[in-house]
Amino acid sequence: MSSAEPAAVPAPTDAALIAAWQGGDEPAAAELVRRHARALARFLVGVGAPEADVDDLVQETFIRAFRALGTFRGQCLFRTWLLTIGGNVVKDAHRRNRRRRVVPLPDDLRSSAGDPHEEAVAGEAEGRLAAGLERLPRMQREVFLLRVQQGLEYDDIAAALGTTPGAARVHYHHAVKRLKEYVK
Amino acid sequence: MNDDATLHDAKLQELAQRLGAQAAERLDVERTAQAVLARLRAEPRTAGARWAWIQPAWLRIAAAVVIVVGVGGVARSVFRDRTAAAVAAAGTELNDLSTEQLRAVLEAVELPATEETISAQDVSLDDLSAPQLRALLQSLEG
Repeated sequence: MSSAEPAAVPAPTDAALIAAWQGGDEPAAAELVRRHARALARFLVGVGAPEADVDDLVQETFIRAFRALGTFRGQCLFRTWLLTIGGNVVKDAHRRNRRRRVVPLPDDLRSSAGDPHEEAVAGEAEGRLAAGLERLPRMQREVFLLRVQQGLEYDDIAAALGTTPGAARVHYHHAVKRLKEYVK
Repeated sequence: MNDDATLHDAKLQELAQRLGAQAAERLDVERTAQAVLARLRAEPRTAGARWAWIQPAWLRIAAAVVIVVGVGGVARSVFRDRTAAAVAAAGTELNDLSTEQLRAVLEAVELPATEETISAQDVSLDDLSAPQLRALLQSLEG
């Protein structure tokens, strides 16, 4: 009887999971969802998704992404590509629900940790940021979120959004300049 | 000034990172994964892709048939008209024409047919836009 521990198997890359899913491996698709769902949810809220709809919009984004995987050529990270699809999903949802009023998030759903006054101030600033993001042109908003919220590189952002890294940088700086005005 | 700017950048960054964090925390990732798989199973991904391939392929084939038949018909009628015209011009007095004149009449009869044949061969489906392909299909269907 061997007491040797089994060697740790490195986690498969996104590319390997995509290839496996394209070969009919369902667990590979589920793993891609587990890996990227939370980052996607944060991004969707950033681009203006009502928090109550995040669950549905995350699902919709993954469905669209899996159906369009044939067009993904690895020009950027899978996550970046997925997030840009999420941006389109939110835009389409806004178009469908244009007349529907967005209900502000109730206070009890905000973080309860820490000093209540600090939390209230932070929540207010967060609200201003969300409002500021809503007013930005779409490209500026997405570049800002992909860069700041998701920590992605300009090269990757540019490839996903069909622009150049230089232009992505310019969009980012415009976004920061305008958002500072909203948040201060 | 620079310190203020840095502080402001850091604040902006912190806020951006907090944005949506609670929604992400609340998301039931496992349930989402299963729901996505269920929807993918319910709407097989190949069906759409195959239809998307078949549709333009059949459109092109049908359009090719229409073009070949149409251009052939046009060429034939043009050839027939011009031949008839040439023969009519020559009338019953062909016997009165010189050898040179007869050759000119023959060339006039042969030339259009040759041109039309070349035109028909030059027609390419790739030259047609999607609306043109659709219009051709509709004309096929009556």
